[in-house]
Amino acid sequence: MDNSASRPASLHADSALDSGLIDHALGDDQRLSRWMGWRLRLLVVAALLGCVALVMTARWLAAQPHLPADWRVGAQGEIELVRTDDAALKPLEGRALVGLLNDNGQVAIVDGLALQRSPRWIASDAQRERQVDQHQQVAAVMGGSTVRVFFIGGRQVELALQPRGLARLGTMFWVLSALSLTLYLVAMVVLLAKPSMRNLLYAVASLCQAGSLAFMAVESTLQLGLPLGFLRWDLPLRLAFDLLTAAALVHAACPAPQRPAGGRHIAWAGWSIALLLAVLCAGGSLRGAWWWAQGGVLLLGLAALGLLSWSYRREPHPFAVVMRRFGVMAISTWLLLTIAIAAGHRMPAVQQQVASIGPAVWYVFFASLLLLVPFLSKSQQVMREFSLLAAVSTIATSLDLLFVAVFSLGQFASVTLALFLSLGIYSGARQWILNQLLGSNVLTTERMFEKLYRMAREVETHPERASDMLMQLLRELFEPMEAVVVEKATRSARVAGDGSTLVVPVPQLPGVGDGLPCSVVLRFAHRGRRLFTSEDARLAERILEQLRRAIAFDKAVEQGRSEERLRLAQDLHDDIGARLLTLMYKAQSPEMEEYVRHTLQDLKTLTRGLAAPNHPLSHASAEWKADLTQRLTAAHIELGWNLSFDRDISLTVVQWSALTRVMRELVSNAIAHAKARRVDIEFHLLQDRLELTITDNGIGRNPQAWAHGLGLGGVRKRVKQLGGEVEWKEAGALGIRCRVTIRQLSERH
Amino acid sequence: MAIKVLIVEDNPVARSFLCRVVRESFSDTIAITEAGDLESARRHIGLPDHQKVDAATDPFKLILVDLELPDGNGMELLAELARYPATKIVTTLYSDDDHLFPALQCGADGYLLKEDRFEVLVEELQKIVRGQPPLSPAIARRLLGHFRQGPGGMGGLSEPAPSGFQSSRPMPLGRGAPLDHERLTPRESEVLTYLSKGFTIKEIANLMGIKWFTVNDHIKSIYKKLNVSSRAEAAVLASKQGLV
Repeated sequence: MDNSASRPASLHADSALDSGLIDHALGDDQRLSRWMGWRLRLLVVAALLGCVALVMTARWLAAQPHLPADWRVGAQGEIELVRTDDAALKPLEGRALVGLLNDNGQVAIVDGLALQRSPRWIASDAQRERQVDQHQQVAAVMGGSTVRVFFIGGRQVELALQPRGLARLGTMFWVLSALSLTLYLVAMVVLLAKPSMRNLLYAVASLCQAGSLAFMAVESTLQLGLPLGFLRWDLPLRLAFDLLTAAALVHAACPAPQRPAGGRHIAWAGWSIALLLAVLCAGGSLRGAWWWAQGGVLLLGLAALGLLSWSYRREPHPFAVVMRRFGVMAISTWLLLTIAIAAGHRMPAVQQQVASIGPAVWYVFFASLLLLVPFLSKSQQVMREFSLLAAVSTIATSLDLLFVAVFSLGQFASVTLALFLSLGIYSGARQWILNQLLGSNVLTTERMFEKLYRMAREVETHPERASDMLMQLLRELFEPMEAVVVEKATRSARVAGDGSTLVVPVPQLPGVGDGLPCSVVLRFAHRGRRLFTSEDARLAERILEQLRRAIAFDKAVEQGRSEERLRLAQDLHDDIGARLLTLMYKAQSPEMEEYVRHTLQDLKTLTRGLAAPNHPLSHASAEWKADLTQRLTAAHIELGWNLSFDRDISLTVVQWSALTRVMRELVSNAIAHAKARRVDIEFHLLQDRLELTITDNGIGRNPQAWAHGLGLGGVRKRVKQLGGEVEWKEAGALGIRCRVTIRQLSERH
Repeated sequence: MAIKVLIVEDNPVARSFLCRVVRESFSDTIAITEAGDLESARRHIGLPDHQKVDAATDPFKLILVDLELPDGNGMELLAELARYPATKIVTTLYSDDDHLFPALQCGADGYLLKEDRFEVLVEELQKIVRGQPPLSPAIARRLLGHFRQGPGGMGGLSEPAPSGFQSSRPMPLGRGAPLDHERLTPRESEVLTYLSKGFTIKEIANLMGIKWFTVNDHIKSIYKKLNVSSRAEAAVLASKQGLV
């Protein structure tokens, strides 16, 4: 909040820009449609291309030759026949495969590696080469029309090869291709909707991931060996995809708004590392290529995290926090997966499982994160739950595989344990993350209502402060880093700037609004740790509505109250006044008459105070002077009047009636008892200090000895009511000086 | 010949008190007629039979009207007596401008506050009859606002005044010139401003370097303008509504 005080000007400009952009994007339909024209066409073309590619791939895969059997890796790394529909193979279920021979004489000697899906996820260089070799042998054998299958123990069966057919591609293929296609389309939408550097980087990362998913989809159809040539592309492309994704993320994480000089270098360094590693690993010139690739991705990911933290420190945009949270999840699961695979590569049976399922889960998880990024501020609730669930399922799978690999636990035991652990993590992390997102000291409903109504009351007395007070309330509600009032009309509360900004219109309150339309702009919710959502905008709207109602209600109450006061004053004045008047006319003695007159005047002061709540000092003093002049002139007494004030304050009813009665009483004394020829009144109000001196030149002396009756007692009481002091002293040779001092007139009401 | 005075006041005690005030105020022979409500007051004056009311028959020279009467507000009577040639004085307990200003607009020539002392009332009454009406700061403020805005919110200092209404005065023909009765002379404004600040007539005369009775003339003129302008205003309103 101290930030906002120190740089309101720049913020003002920024915010105006933000909402201006939104206005532009939302309001200018014509422009929008013109721009959207060719982009939409491009998008349709892209979507068509994606679908055509999918169909072509599916047809190509369906045309591949096929052995009607399911295989799996045995305990010693051999290939076991699990299940088959072929009558000739049926008796051989459970036997280990040795090799294949086709009618052209081509031979393939296979072991478990032939069932390994992708060379990308084989840790050892030697194994990877053997895997590629075996796949190529199998593919060559499959090129014939018949295949002789050899099993351990000399058993052999001759089979005719047939095309596979679309129906046998498997669910996994379709699911992964659909995800890949979705990611591809989202990338295109984001890129075409607003071509910018950031969106381009997002598109690069998403397209790379879509490519990876496509490869995985194809590999999921693996039975025994992959189609010829496919594996030659698999390793280099998938390595490149992963490394390029990481590099794009590093580039995107460079602090964008005020890009420092180093940012560009960092981005280029990221790209160079990624490309170099991709080329070296794919070319096979690097020993331990898998390790290099995993390390490279990890390094780049960590670099991106560091950059995000740094940019958050420079400008606390909650987007950076959310992205960092995503990044931590993705990288930690990546690390877990790497460890699981590294641990498993010594056990062929486990490794095949780990290497096929683990990466698949991770890529799906990462793809879901990428899919969520463009829609963060729109559906935070869904995003939160989904990403939590995805992360937890990734962790569960990785743990499961790790347990199997490292502790050689049974399948069931490891699944149970992993599930148990990840559920524990989920329930623990959920609370923590929710706290992180919502903030621990959210205003309770009760307190908010209290604030709302207090604010309504304050706005009524100080309508000009409405925007400031609204800002304060919203501040306490959302805890933004920055909050400022801009002179700009907004129709309703809404989220701008990718969820970093919330714009709330200052309501035109009944009887208040003559000023320009204003809006409160809040930036970076919960001290920059949270994005504003459409729910927040709705909440702000509801608060405004409640405020409007509260003020209208208060106004109605106040009006009723003042009508009631007026009626009361009228009644008092008419009824009691008329009676007192009659009493006065019938008074037996002049003293009695004077007493009743006094009472009548007090009654009039009282009823006037009831009717008019405020009296400007200048008006009140003019009336005091006129009134006192008339009374003193009637008694043939001269009035010396000296009044000064530095500010024409508005006297409250209490102040006005107290001062009126004090002066009237003191002047009455001078007329009735002192037999004065002249009364001097000094009234000075300087810096909230009031000094009132009333001096007469009458016969009164020795005021200490006076008996304070109703009159002087009343003066004392009124002065005390105003928080002041009163004293009587002899004034020179003749008369009395009464001095009333009120140090802070405005302190009491 | 006795001077005819009408006192409209519902409270008998107050009525007899006012009778004493009136008798004390003038040395002439006084014939006082008393009325307890608007109805009997109208009867005494001869309203609403307008033909009877003219200066030739022996009219009341002085009328004291209480504002709060059992069958209505004294202002109604004042409005009806707009062209009656008597000096009309409001007697009331209300000293605030909210009550007195409308009464002055209705054509009162002055006001007396009933709770004032006998001597004060006598003096005030004499002053009013002599043409020295009172003007409290609050009412002066109200008057300033009234004339600054222009009566009825029309015809300010620079705006052309609407024509087409009947007035007791000949109307200036020059279109576009504000009507005389709708604005104050600079002197009158000055007097009003001083009054609104609580200065006495003597002080104002000193400040402006004029005689005190000149100040008084200004006050009288302001009274008249207020009355005339409000009557004109009422006429405009009536003509707008098709009543005249």
